[in-house]
Amino acid sequence: MRDKGFDPRTRLALGMLGIAAVLITRETIPLVVELCLILAGLVFLRAGRLAGVLKLTLPLVALVFIIGIISFPPETAVRLSLRLFNLLALSALFFQTMDPAELGDSFRKMGFPYEFSFILTTSLRYVPLIGRKIRLIMDAQRSRGIDLRLRLRNVPRFLALLVPLLVQAFILAEQLAMAMESRGFARTGRSFRREYRISLGEYVLMGLALCLVAAFFAWERGWII
Amino acid sequence: MISLSNIHYRYPGTSAPAVLQGIDLTIREGEYVLLCGRSGSGKSTFGYLLNGLIPHFFEGHLEGTVTIHGQDTKNRTVADLLSTVGMVFQNADAQLFNSTVESEMAFGLESLGFDPRKIAAKIEKTAEDLAIIPLLDRSPMSLSGGEKRLVAIASVLCLDPPVMVLDEPLAHLDWEGAKRIREVLRDLHRKGKTLLVIEQRMSRTLDDASRCVILGHGEIFFDGPPDAAWPVLDQEHLVPRYPLRRTVPLRSRETLLQVTQISHSIDRNPVLRDVSLEIKQGEILAVVGKNGAGKTTLLKHFNALFRPEKGTVLYGGEDIRSKAPSEMAAHVGISFQNANDQFFKNTVRDELMVGVRPGMKDAEEWVDELCCLFDLRGLLDLSPYRLSEGQKKRVAIASVLVTRPRMLALDEPTIGQDGYFLETLAGLLVSLREKGLTIVIVTHDLDFAQATADRLIILDKGKVTGMAIPGTPTGNAVLAEMGLRGPGEPVFTRGAANNAG
Repeated sequence: MRDKGFDPRTRLALGMLGIAAVLITRETIPLVVELCLILAGLVFLRAGRLAGVLKLTLPLVALVFIIGIISFPPETAVRLSLRLFNLLALSALFFQTMDPAELGDSFRKMGFPYEFSFILTTSLRYVPLIGRKIRLIMDAQRSRGIDLRLRLRNVPRFLALLVPLLVQAFILAEQLAMAMESRGFARTGRSFRREYRISLGEYVLMGLALCLVAAFFAWERGWII
Repeated sequence: MISLSNIHYRYPGTSAPAVLQGIDLTIREGEYVLLCGRSGSGKSTFGYLLNGLIPHFFEGHLEGTVTIHGQDTKNRTVADLLSTVGMVFQNADAQLFNSTVESEMAFGLESLGFDPRKIAAKIEKTAEDLAIIPLLDRSPMSLSGGEKRLVAIASVLCLDPPVMVLDEPLAHLDWEGAKRIREVLRDLHRKGKTLLVIEQRMSRTLDDASRCVILGHGEIFFDGPPDAAWPVLDQEHLVPRYPLRRTVPLRSRETLLQVTQISHSIDRNPVLRDVSLEIKQGEILAVVGKNGAGKTTLLKHFNALFRPEKGTVLYGGEDIRSKAPSEMAAHVGISFQNANDQFFKNTVRDELMVGVRPGMKDAEEWVDELCCLFDLRGLLDLSPYRLSEGQKKRVAIASVLVTRPRMLALDEPTIGQDGYFLETLAGLLVSLREKGLTIVIVTHDLDFAQATADRLIILDKGKVTGMAIPGTPTGNAVLAEMGLRGPGEPVFTRGAANNAG
């Protein structure tokens, strides 16, 4: 098991608080402060691999900026793109530190039914598989002369991609149900091998984060400064 | 002890005849039973009976009784049988549904309510036994085919069930992967586990088993020691009887496709390094190699699905770098491994007509000729999804040929197919060659490659490491040198053995 220090629930709470902070902030200076905090977080957690992912978001942010500058005053355009970038960077950071199983575990620990957290983690597990399947189907269809390049006139041909994909997804779902059943998914009295405890330090950290969000809120409303 | 008496079973919602019709069988503790039969003979259904998936998961109509260790499966749920019968499914991607190998192995133990310390101990022991400790932290998605199979076995083995059912554990594996799994199975048998291994095509597993049961049309028609099974397997085409090869002189020495020094990487890992080869007009060429050697990647360069990072691919002397794969389909047809990836029409006829381009001359006649050659006339109005595996594969290959390519390439055509289909396919390839088609087969099935190809090219870790003419002493020596076949080891199938000279 990879040890990332904090209990997954703590990480979930911190992630949610961060996203809340970005969502309530509308002014430029608080947004820049948040950006600095997020970048500091990236450096602190050595999430260097995320640089590539963040580069991919830049065209989207640029697009929002261009649309903003055409339709609104320049200040608004800056704020819009800053908020978007903050949100994307924070989500990337969050998912980097959280593997799906831990996310599921934290939901379960917070009282959600096991089935719910299981479905969440399992569907994430199958996303890359479906992606691979799409590529295989595309290759197979293009090799028999079906043009699937992204062109308007090719739109009706995408049935050649969708139908095999759906049919195989249904087949996979049935096989998966069989495999789960055969390993006792439906059985009552399940135990869990991972034990989690939130330490005092983590509670303090969550408290501090909450204060920080409150501070941003107050700043936003003009109650301080 | 497992006993099945007078079993009849029909899946729900079908009017087709019952899948199993009067099965009586007793399996004693510690036996290693190999259950074989053609595709659609009811083998997997038989497996589902043993762990209670029938009647608890699949409803349908079941007559007769299945008892495992004295208990009727009708009165026990699948979950109750969990610690008695371990089931390893054919599709490892469905079997492995957790995000790491470790949680995969823990899943069954958690279902049984073991405490965390005991779970950790059992995982460690099983992982050690199967030598998969380095895999524990990895995602099942990132594993190779052989590793996935080992993990699937491990996920069941950590519950230590006395009986294990394995559905086609060797399918999709190359010879090295298959050898490893066979060792594991032999070891389990030695340790006293009762094993039921389901195999579609007869393989070298037969030597390991203590008993062989052959199913056909829902009935058992052979049950006895493996040695005595050979004549029946042969008669039932469970061992493919490849047609005797006639050496046909090549009509021309013209090169159809020339690959010069191509390299390709996927996610920065080099998959092909400086590969060069020539494909002559009218030959059958097999590219053989282990899983992950880069065979499929090479194939995708033949119709511009991939463009080489370095080097060139010339088709008929022309560089295909700037062509779209859908344009290239009129010249090079590729049929990939999974026929289900192609089907999206309601009938076989519509599926075939997809490849007809506007303005194509004599299209109807050509499709008709293909239907005749591939024996599809009786299937034209059926849905492609309702066909058997062999029929699906025939439709898939024919639909690639509809565009009238000069070259046909097949990616692992033998996977998931029974011996009967392999014979048919070998015959078809010969007929197609007689029509002037150039054929490339990419496969890890050495027996099939040697029985059908004029020339073998060996690919290892992205490099061409050798060339062999099957059946010739030098060719066999090359294969032996590459570790693909032991020096004295005979070719497995009878037909291929006759090819020498």
